[in-house]
Amino acid sequence: MRPFHYSRPGSVGEAVRALGADPGAEVIAGGTDLVTLLRDGVRAPSQLVDVNRLGLDRLSWQPNGSVHIGAMCRNAVDDSRLRRAYPGLVQALRSGASPQIRNRASFGGNLLQRTRCAYFRLPEFDCNKRNPGSGCAALNGDGAQTALFGASPSCVAVHPSDCAVALVALNAVVHVEGPAGARRIPIEEFHVLPGETPQRETALRRDELVVAIELPPAPPSHYLKFRDRTSFAFALVSAAVAVEVSGGTVRSARIALGGVAAKPWRCLAAERELVGKPFTAPSIAKAGDAATEGAKPRPGNEYKVELVRRVVRRALTELGNA
Amino acid sequence: MSEQGIGAALTRVEARDKVTGAARYTADVVLPGMAYAALVSSQVSAGRLRSLDVSAAKAAPGVLGVFSHLDRPTWHRVPAIPYFGETRMPFSDDRIHHAGQHIAIVVASTRQQAAHAAALVKAEYEAGKPVPTLEKALPSAYVAAQGNYVNFPQETVRGTPEEALAGSPVRVKAEYRTALISHAPIEPSVTTATWEGDELTLYDTSQAVVVHRGLVATAFGLPEDKVRLVCPLIGGAFGAKTHVWGHTLLVALAARRLGRPVQVVITRKQMFTTTGHQPPTVQRIEIGAERDGRLRVITHDSTNSTSFVAERPENTVLSSVATYAVPNLRTRVRLARMNFGTPTAMRTPGDGPGSFALECALDELAHELGADPVELRRRNHADVHPQSGKPWSGKNLLECYRIGAERFGWHRRDRRPGTRREGNDLIGYGMATARRVEHHRAAESTVDIRTDGGVVVRTATQDIGGGTLTTMIQVAADALGVAPDKVTITVGDTDLPPGAPTFGSITSGSNGSAVRLAAQDARGAAIRLAVGDKGSPLHGLAEDAVDVRDGRLFAKADPRRGETYAVLLTRNRVNPLRGNGKYSPAESQYETSTFGAHFTEVRIDRDLPRVRVVRHLAVIDCGIVLNTKTARNQAQGGIIGSIGVALMEELRQDPVSGRALAPALTDYHVPVNADIGQIDVHFVNKPDHNSNPLGAKGLGEICSIGVSAAVANAVFNATGRRIRDLPITPRRLL
Ligand SMILES: Cc1cc2nc3c(=O)[nH]c(=O)nc-3n(C[C@H](O)[C@H](O)[C@H](O)COP(=O)(O)OP(=O)(O)OC[C@H]3O[C@@H](n4cnc5c(N)ncnc54)[C@H](O)[C@@H]3O)c2cc1C
Repeated sequence: MRPFHYSRPGSVGEAVRALGADPGAEVIAGGTDLVTLLRDGVRAPSQLVDVNRLGLDRLSWQPNGSVHIGAMCRNAVDDSRLRRAYPGLVQALRSGASPQIRNRASFGGNLLQRTRCAYFRLPEFDCNKRNPGSGCAALNGDGAQTALFGASPSCVAVHPSDCAVALVALNAVVHVEGPAGARRIPIEEFHVLPGETPQRETALRRDELVVAIELPPAPPSHYLKFRDRTSFAFALVSAAVAVEVSGGTVRSARIALGGVAAKPWRCLAAERELVGKPFTAPSIAKAGDAATEGAKPRPGNEYKVELVRRVVRRALTELGNA
Repeated sequence: MSEQGIGAALTRVEARDKVTGAARYTADVVLPGMAYAALVSSQVSAGRLRSLDVSAAKAAPGVLGVFSHLDRPTWHRVPAIPYFGETRMPFSDDRIHHAGQHIAIVVASTRQQAAHAAALVKAEYEAGKPVPTLEKALPSAYVAAQGNYVNFPQETVRGTPEEALAGSPVRVKAEYRTALISHAPIEPSVTTATWEGDELTLYDTSQAVVVHRGLVATAFGLPEDKVRLVCPLIGGAFGAKTHVWGHTLLVALAARRLGRPVQVVITRKQMFTTTGHQPPTVQRIEIGAERDGRLRVITHDSTNSTSFVAERPENTVLSSVATYAVPNLRTRVRLARMNFGTPTAMRTPGDGPGSFALECALDELAHELGADPVELRRRNHADVHPQSGKPWSGKNLLECYRIGAERFGWHRRDRRPGTRREGNDLIGYGMATARRVEHHRAAESTVDIRTDGGVVVRTATQDIGGGTLTTMIQVAADALGVAPDKVTITVGDTDLPPGAPTFGSITSGSNGSAVRLAAQDARGAAIRLAVGDKGSPLHGLAEDAVDVRDGRLFAKADPRRGETYAVLLTRNRVNPLRGNGKYSPAESQYETSTFGAHFTEVRIDRDLPRVRVVRHLAVIDCGIVLNTKTARNQAQGGIIGSIGVALMEELRQDPVSGRALAPALTDYHVPVNADIGQIDVHFVNKPDHNSNPLGAKGLGEICSIGVSAAVANAVFNATGRRIRDLPITPRRLL
């Protein structure tokens, strides 16, 4: 670990200025991810800007039925209206990490947590994300955790967040603030695919701050996470589904996958299989098959293809039964 | 159960301290002037250090010293293996044998300064081409010559195995693999070293202070009595602390060079890379049997990885040698060197992975024969030791099967795999035998009775979390005839009478016997004192006419006649009255083992197949049980550990460099609470006095053996799929 400065601004503006003034500065929120990266020598910021005192820890319901979740709301958030309106989000949060970590972890930090790819987390390996241009040791390495979709020759890592997957299914918008003021980034554009610049993971600029997440009113949603142990493990594959059914017919569907790409992976083909059809086993089965469309398995992760099919089916079936 | 203590379900004597945070562990030791060390690890798996630049580290704030192979430490001698794991002393040269190898030690005024400076050490490597994995090492596997760790027959032949196979009407043959797994105790290894002149005191997380003292003395060329090892409580070990590893010697070295106490708490990552692991194994088993299920022959060929600085075969084949009555047998163990740290004893060395292979193979045979797995095992019960032909000192395995099958409801098992369902779940039952050789070690103890009626047990064993402090108190209380709450115990210090190591399941039997002998000695001396003392109401009685209960000596013929230890000793001004106990295991006409049977029920979602062990029952025969509470706790813990081995534990390696991919508890999966269903443990609880004076045998390991096979057999019963590679992750079931 390298020594660093620590600052604790009292307003969003002050925090943005602190980030702007020091190109080596990084935000620290709950610290549950960043501290381990500092410890392991993966990150070495010159300054940590603590965003715990910016008043970003509120949940506010809007007149139109949408909700703004402050970036510093904890992943342990327990709000009955949120649970009713967005069950998929609350299930995703509850399926993540452990109660202790969820008590510390924030929404902003959750979206911006770094990949769990071992080759990124262990500095003794080459990694284009950690050290641009050094190569990707995962390409010839253990492929079990790697991406099915959207990978590139420079990076095959997947995004680990459960919450972000649910946010994609729920069509969230990320509110950010920077030196040029505030802007809104649709969640699907927030995370980006690696291409040749895997070090760039999101559309957030270095001196911008996530301040809130906005959720529009949403149809019934559900989250299903499949993993190696019952709890306290990252997803092998997960799916968030939000489906609106009326008169026995699916009016709209959003399906997103976790554990398969550098960003929550939206399954448009699977959604198309559902819309306009009855919400029943045959169309659900077709949606499961369609969810694997475009998958490019790599040595070691072939099992994920079948898993995607089954996880999507199960998530939709459970939503239908709920 | 004796009213005086043995078998009683006493709560651990240190429990309150542990849950309130008052318990002192090795990392809680703080000495005046103490400095803190951090170890620098090699980033590459093979090759040599071309250069090591420590200048920035030396200049960093608070740094007191940086040492490496450049300082040419002069070790007196390489201590004998075991219990130093390796043939190369730390910092001997510039060679790198595995990633994570210690290449420098940095000492500073604070832990943080040491960690910071360690990150500033710059190593340049001349990287070699590593042998990264067991798979890549297999082509050069070899049978090791006897010596060092290689202390059991690497090849065994009984009868005429090839002929027997050729003539067997039924044969099964399969290859099984177990994974590289890690102890993962909560408490990392910690050493604090302090010198006074030529005398070294080490506070060390050690499963064997007495054995390790001799070893450290050898390394530094000191007489044994110049080295003192102290180990307060241990926060879990599972074998990781059976051996002395490099960090212990390096900290002692740094403390000597700097002339002040030095402490190191090794990092979680270093726990995974420098304090041993259970090596992966590849095991081929072939069984030939009669149609009625009687075994004619077993061949068991096993290869495990070892490091380039130690030859350590995993004794997997003993399962085949010593479990069933089989007239023909061939076993062979081979080693394959890879560039990874040195393997060591872990949880149930040998029998853990060995029983997985053998007990799965037996299940395959049962399936082939259409026989019931329990019946097949009964039919091949070894009435005497199958290799030596000697009688068992005590064996109740048939009873384990009977009780287990009955309590578990084994008859409900459908032998056609994949037939029992409930909703999305497939349901399967599996079972396996457990067998573990009981080892004996010399051990000594004293037991003092004081004039206030209190009793103090002193013995240099250690409590690694299994409840030893409590059970030793119970043994002393029982033999003395006092209530357990009158007894206190001091352990974990080589200044005490030499006790037994706490590994290999030897503490209860061997150290327990020493405590019992010491307590009997003290009790006898007190009775002699009383009957010879005119002032005693017991004066003039024959010694065997006196009994003791609740701290009071009394005439058997007239219990009203008597007095307490306290009164007797106070009047005679004897304080304390000391009993000495020395247990030395003798050559025995018997073979001694512990036994058990495991029964398990798994449920597996057929679309999203993760194995859930919803119910497990173990019936264990470990002689007399000293404390039913700590015993049940140990057994449940051992079973949970092995469910982890069956279903999730694996320290995955990078196939190119061989480096561990997840040396952290986030990714090295052990079971969480939600993974564990109901676990029932039943003890046969019959003393085995042919084994030792106490009649108790080790429980530490027997409870874990066979669990992974029982789970795999249940998975087969549930799904019809035979998974021969551990762990049985969802990936393998899809
Ligand atoms: C053992 C373990 C298990 C876990 N399991 C899961 C799991 O199963 N599922 C899952 O989804 N997650 C899991 N996590 C990850 C966890 O959810 C994240 O660590 C957590 O959400 C991060 O939030 P934080 O507030 O602690 O972020 P920090 O660690 O403080 O920061 C993380 C990153 O976000 C940036 N950041 C934080 N807030 C802002 C902001 N407002 N604006 C701009 N940048 C910001 C920081 O600069 C940093 O780069 C696990 C973590 C651990 C340690």
